[in-house]
Amino acid sequence: MEFFKRFSKRLGFMFVTLAVMSFIIFLLVEIMPGDVAQTVLGQSATPESLKALREAMGLNDPIMVRYFRWAGGILKGDLGESFYMRGVQISSIFWRRVGHSIVLALTALLFYVPLSLFFGVVAGVKAGKFTDSVISFFGLATMALPEFVSGVILITIFSVSLKILPITSVIPIGENLWQNLKILVLPALSITFVMFGYVSRMQRSSMINVMNSDYVRAAILKGMPRGYVIFRHALKNALLPSITIIGMNMGWLFGGLIVVETLFGFPGLGSLTMSAIKTRDIPLIEACVLFITLVFVVSTFITDMLYAYLNPRIRFKGGEA
Amino acid sequence: MKNFLLLLKQNPRAILGLSILLLWILLALLGPSLLPYSFSQMDMDNQISRPGLNGHLLGTDALGRDILTRIVYGSRSILTIALMTSLFSSLAGILIGFTAGYFGGFWDTLFLRIMDIVMAIPPLVLSMVVLGILGDSTIASLTIIVSIAYTPATARVARGALLSCKGSEYVDAARIRGESDFYIMFVEILPNTLGPIIVEITARFAYSIMMIASLGFLGVGLQPPTPDWGMMVIENKSIIREAPWAVLYPSLAIASLVIAISLFSDFISKVMIHEK
Repeated sequence: MEFFKRFSKRLGFMFVTLAVMSFIIFLLVEIMPGDVAQTVLGQSATPESLKALREAMGLNDPIMVRYFRWAGGILKGDLGESFYMRGVQISSIFWRRVGHSIVLALTALLFYVPLSLFFGVVAGVKAGKFTDSVISFFGLATMALPEFVSGVILITIFSVSLKILPITSVIPIGENLWQNLKILVLPALSITFVMFGYVSRMQRSSMINVMNSDYVRAAILKGMPRGYVIFRHALKNALLPSITIIGMNMGWLFGGLIVVETLFGFPGLGSLTMSAIKTRDIPLIEACVLFITLVFVVSTFITDMLYAYLNPRIRFKGGEA
Repeated sequence: MKNFLLLLKQNPRAILGLSILLLWILLALLGPSLLPYSFSQMDMDNQISRPGLNGHLLGTDALGRDILTRIVYGSRSILTIALMTSLFSSLAGILIGFTAGYFGGFWDTLFLRIMDIVMAIPPLVLSMVVLGILGDSTIASLTIIVSIAYTPATARVARGALLSCKGSEYVDAARIRGESDFYIMFVEILPNTLGPIIVEITARFAYSIMMIASLGFLGVGLQPPTPDWGMMVIENKSIIREAPWAVLYPSLAIASLVIAISLFSDFISKVMIHEK
């Protein structure tokens, strides 16, 4: 019951956040300097044609009218028409790009989750020893690097020196992503670098906490094999904070993808957002940013619920943890 | 302070971090007067020159501009902007977080909800969109926008720090003395929350460097011909096969600076928690 109450409260808040965010995003793009009609038609446009276009695009309507027209369209799945590529429906390019980004994000997840959990546990169990300081320093160093810096280092090693992986992640015309899986490796590794630090550090400290708890010490003192205690007793509880960090970072991952995709020219949502900003394509910017926000809000919600569900203290008592 | 130096002496990682940071600051202050080139000077005979050849210690880019010179000039803007951002966002965070936490009730709830909503958009995405929309970023616009993007996070830290002190006896004593709310917040409570706030400022400094570099990389940072580390990376990426140094050295500059600050801020947070 308590769980259900928490669930509905968070769900409600999630929708409020999305509604407010959509308005903020709409306003943000509204402040864009310059006349939209002028941008679309170019400098040579006559005043009459500008006026006609403004009327046709509904730019003369009050801001609230325009917001609700836009938001209403989004709710029906209509993302609008691109300004830059005249006559192109945004939905026709948008979802394919989103699909590519999801594949990239999942590949990265596949790399960094097992790696960082494993090394985090090792560092936590060997806390204070040499292995721990090597892992911890590596984690701190990689966490501190922006994605494009680790990306450049990876390119220099794997593409320039060893020549085994492509420098850019471009899909040739007429082919799809599945025929070009090679292009996923370096972008995914660049993300892995950054995330490894966060997750392994979190895993390390929660492992240390749990290993020092009474029930684990009791199990060890009882004479149970150390490996058994670590995997059966300690790990169950020590994974909880890491799950939160991984979930919370799902939204961040999409933000970080912008940088990685720009570096590698990967055809995903991030590079689409970037080119939308460069070409001042208002409806496309709005769609991209709204989608990134959506991913962030939904993943925060799911993480929160998963955490509450996995943590018996919240599941049964409904207390704040 | 003496205690601080003593602890610093026992922490080789922090010493390493601090020395690299000081080296960068020194380079940023003195470097330009020691270098023979200007940041936009093109050596037309030596385009894409290897490091160490033709009087270019770190080589040149496709336009024959000296990489070392551009890195040194770039350190000035990135250090300035990052320092100002971490200070401004912390200052704004303290003002907002303290007010919300101190008065509590309706305002506090409203504050928390607004912060939750604003935090639903990653700071990098927020800054990128706003700067991209405004166009032609300057040091001032970068500083202002990134500070705003970071304020929700700093305000939360400040609020948390204030709440941990709000119930103390010295706060009650000040209230009974009839001190004003402003006095209690900033003269009584603030000095006692400096620990977490200093930790936040140093960590924020590292984040800011990453953010400014990423924004420059995405092309919404300082505009050319002003040298910017992030911009240098993307500018030269097309010639990475012929001139890996033109991409690698600016990247390493970013890496060394962020790692140095992280090492130092790690130490700061250890000291502050240790003292508690």
